[in-house]
This record gives sequence, structure tokens and C-alpha cells, in this order.
Amino acid sequence: MLGKLRAAGAALLVVVLFALAAGTAQAFIFSDPANLYSTSIADSWVYQAYHSTPEIAVFYGEGDYDLLYFETLGRVLDNSAEDLAKRSLELYSAAGGLRDFQLEMPLIQVEVADQKGLACAYTYQDERGNKLWEYRVFLLLPEGRGFSIALSSDGPWVKNRPPVLEEVLAKWQWML
Amino acid sequence: MAVDAVNRLRMGLWVCVLLVMFFGLAAPLQASPIGARFESTLGGGAVPEILKQYGGEHVLPISQRLWTEEVFRRLVEVAEREDVEYTLTVLNSSELNAFAVPGGYIFITRGLVNAIGRDEARLAAVLGHEIAHIEKKHGLNAVLRQMGLTVLLEVGAMALDFASADLIRLASTTLLQLITLGWGREAEYEADLIGQDLAVRAGFDSIGAVSLLDGLMNLDSEDLPMKLFRTHPDTKDRRVRLEANLASYWSEPAAVEEPHMLERLNGGRNLAPARRNDPRRRYQVMLPEEGTGLLLIDEQAGQTLIWLDGSLIKDFAWSPQGQHLAVIVDTGSHDQVWVCDRWGYVKKQVVAGTQRITYVSWSPEGQQLALHVAEPDSHGILLTHLAADVLVPVGGGLGSEYSIWLDNGLFFISKESWYHTAAPEVRPVTISNPVPQVLQRQRILSPTVVKEENTIRLTRPSLTMP
Repeated sequence: MLGKLRAAGAALLVVVLFALAAGTAQAFIFSDPANLYSTSIADSWVYQAYHSTPEIAVFYGEGDYDLLYFETLGRVLDNSAEDLAKRSLELYSAAGGLRDFQLEMPLIQVEVADQKGLACAYTYQDERGNKLWEYRVFLLLPEGRGFSIALSSDGPWVKNRPPVLEEVLAKWQWML
Repeated sequence: MAVDAVNRLRMGLWVCVLLVMFFGLAAPLQASPIGARFESTLGGGAVPEILKQYGGEHVLPISQRLWTEEVFRRLVEVAEREDVEYTLTVLNSSELNAFAVPGGYIFITRGLVNAIGRDEARLAAVLGHEIAHIEKKHGLNAVLRQMGLTVLLEVGAMALDFASADLIRLASTTLLQLITLGWGREAEYEADLIGQDLAVRAGFDSIGAVSLLDGLMNLDSEDLPMKLFRTHPDTKDRRVRLEANLASYWSEPAAVEEPHMLERLNGGRNLAPARRNDPRRRYQVMLPEEGTGLLLIDEQAGQTLIWLDGSLIKDFAWSPQGQHLAVIVDTGSHDQVWVCDRWGYVKKQVVAGTQRITYVSWSPEGQQLALHVAEPDSHGILLTHLAADVLVPVGGGLGSEYSIWLDNGLFFISKESWYHTAAPEVRPVTISNPVPQVLQRQRILSPTVVKEENTIRLTRPSLTMP
């Protein structure tokens, strides 16, 4: 009996180790070159050096429209993340903003590594007439610096905080 | 009309007639004490018709709008008139044009905004020029001149009722007619220089106006079906005046006390031979012991290369970011500076007359070059810019062997003494209250690979997702 238990325990340990090993193999740690943050991103999302800038880190997923990006805004004049979010959404929905903008999920409170922020989801039409979905987190960091995390694609799945975004938010670390 | 009003009108007209008889209509227009309210009413009255003629207002995308507004805000901040409120409207027209109407109303077409792109120096040059028209009341004076009212309004203003709707209507009609003709050649030249000053004071590169005109002349030569600045005078003439004004933004040279500090500050990068080292450490570049061209060792590809074969090279220097290589080429009768990219292609050739060039040094941002010329009867240092073919004499005519270019200007040595000439300050555009950008995946041009038996053929590139 004891032997069976040991064998089962060993098998379980192997499975767990496998799962852990597999888990670590499926994600990588991305550190902001400006040393503001780091997070874990699924391996299937590829960093785009030519699309990224010192302020924006851009990743493409497997789908033709899968896009993940983090933007450091610099100083903003807003007093709270809510002000930043509302001002941004006003501009997105106004003339000159996003075509056919539609708020699909109103602003909700979120927390990213102890920084309180707001998140929402919306749709808009790109230049080729495709309907795109975007989930966006607005944050206001110390010293009034705006920050944003966005995930977009051509399907409504992005608004339900898919695993890739959960992973990014759960493993987020500020290096403030 | 009341008897009093008729009498006032008669009195004003008599004043006008007498003054016209004595002084003519060429009275000093700049000193016109016309009320800002009249000016604003006049311009404001023309705005609806302008919007109608140019396809209405065009709303720029968010980030471009914030960026454009920031450039405009900085210019307005350094403008001097406080009795007008400046506004900027982008017109929904593909024509390349910009203009200002009395009262601070500045207009720029969508076509011109797109042609300028994200070149803040060029945008500042356009908007600075238009603000200058308002600062100097060029539009207002042109309208009044056209109506023959200048002198009348100078002296007899109090005698007339400016709130008269008929007068305003007449002036607005005249204004609309004049917009298509411009405010006059001299007014345009004056606005060019004042606009350039405004741009420099607002922290934009003074080269903007010159490079803008270069860009417009290139478009013109391609005979595009657009009306290029149809309200403005000859572009070449304006360019000559603007280029000649560039030197005025550099300070007179002043002696420097601690020359060794300068070398330490710059880490000696600009001094030979460190300036010859590729900042990106890919190439080793050398002058061949014999023959022509430049000898390169490409350490990444493990190759030895010859660039500019057949050209006699005297000296070279990498730009601080390693994007360009400046090369002094001896053409026999005189020297030229060629600017090559990192693949050895000549992107720009600078000809400094028939002079000999002894040394080149790059500005810290890698956009300007200081050329040291040998002839003592000419200016010792000439500046040129990658964005435009200009030669700007600096250094007060002192001869100079070499220079170090730091953020606050050019330090040069002349007869074993160090001098400093301060550069105009250039500040990048930082949007004061940004919002997050909305990005989309970029498409790239990619050829299709077709295998045909033993050969591979690349078809025409098509848009694909990366």
C-alpha cells in the first residue's frame, strides 16, 4: 500500500514538475528597457522591435489582429486614473477619434501590482473597415505619469480578460 | 439714418479726402490704431465663407491633433499681441495652403498638414508665418488699403460708427477677395522673417522655413496638380532671404577660459581619431595608404569593403549616432563634403564654393555639420544641415582648425584660443496632456516566393501581415 502511495506521489510530482516546466516554457519575462515594469508574456506573443518605441512595447499574437501593447505616457494633467480614462474615451469617441467607437464594457476598477486603475473594452473600425475589439487599462503612476495596457484583436474574446492578459496583469511588477 | 450719424460720416469723409490729398494712401499702416474688436469682427465675418470654400473643418486624428496643437500653443506663447485670441483651424482641402485672417484666425489645409508630416520645424515655420501676419496686421491693413480707408481710419476713426453692419460686410467681402491674392509681396517677406523668429523663440529649429520651401519647390517641379501656396510670392526669393537670416540666430563668438574642460565634456569623441570610430562598432574605416576611396572592415559580415572608390578622400567623421558618415572629398579645384548612409550611399553633397575644407564636425543630434574652410578671406566656419542645402557662416569670420559641437553650441579653436558661439535652443515637442495611443498591427510589403523547377522567383511585393 505504502509503495503504491509512493509511486502515485512520485507520478504526481513528475506531472507537477512537467506542468511547471511546461508552464515556464510557455512564457517569458519582459522587462521594460526604461526599467519601469516587468511582466510575463506567453511565448506565442512576439515582441515587435520595429513597431515598438522607447515609450511603447508592442507584441503580436498568433491571430492576424492580435496585438498587445504597453505605453508609458509621461506626465498628464489628470488628477486620477478615472480622469485620464474618461478624457481618453471622450477623445476616442469624438470627431477625429476612432471610427464607429462603441463602449462595450464600461469602466471598472482594476489593480495592477498595487496600482489602482480603470479598465474598459470598446470596439472601433480600422482603416480597412474591420471591427476591432480592445481591452484597455488606464493607470496613473506616481508623479502624474500616465500608463496604459491594451489588448486588441478582431473578436469579442478580448473583453473577457483572456489568459494572456490575466498572465500579464498577474505577473506585473513595477520597478518604480 | 439719423442726422448726427450723417454729419459724422460727412466729417469723417472730409477728413479722409483732405488727408488723401496731402499724404496719399501710403500712410504708415503698421501703426494703425484699429480696435481689436473691429479686427476680430472683420475676420470672424469671413470665417464661415472660408470654411465653405475649403470643404469645412477637418478634424485630425487624436495624436496628430495634440501634436499640432502643441506646436501652435508654443508659437502663440511667444507672440506679442495680447489683444487677439489665436485659433487654428485645419481645412478639409487637399490644396497645400495656409493663411491668416484678421482677428487671429489661422487656417491650414489638410493637404499641407499631411505634406509636412511630423516635421515640427516645418509646421512651426508655416504657423509662425501666419501668426506674423496677424502680429503685423497685414490682412487688416490690406483690406483697408483696398477700401481706401487706411488714412481715414488712422485719423477719423472716432467720427465713424464702426459697428455699421454695412461697413463690416463690405470689409469682409474685400477680405475674402484678398485671401486668394495674398497680403502683398512685402508683407509676405516680412512675415517669413518674423515667423522664423517666432519659431526660433518657441524652441523650433530655424531650418524649418528653408526646408519647407525646399519641399514645396520639389513638389512644384514634379508638377503636381495642386496649387502650392498660391497666396505667396516667389519661393526661391523667399528661400534666399530666410537662409541669409539663419546666421543671426547664432551668438557672436566669445573666448572660452577652460579649453580642457570642453574635451573632457565630450569625451574627446569629436577629436581625431575618435570621431572616425563607428559609434555602432560595425565598421572600421580607414584612409587607404595609396589610391582612392575609403577602406572599411565590416566586422559583422567579416568583409573588407571600398566605399567611394575613385574619389580622393581627405578626412571623414561619423555622426554621433552612427547614422551617417561625413567625408571630405578633394575634387581637384575645390573640396566637397559628402554625407553617406551606413551602406555607403551618398545621400547629400555639400559644395562650399571653391573653398578648401579642412575639417568637419557633427552637431550632437547628427543633423548639422560644421565645415572648416581654409580661405582666410572668407568665413572660417560654415554650417550645413541635412534637412536643407544651406551654408550658414558662424564664428565671426575667425579662422579655425577644428571644433567640438556640444548641446549649447559650437566650440572652436582659432589661433590657439578657444571660442564659443551659442546655438539657438531647440526643444522637441512634448504633448503636455497626452492620452494613450490606439495602435493597430502594421502590414509590411513582402514578395511572394514562387518555385519554378530549379529556380525561385520573387513576385511583386504585396501587403501581408508580419
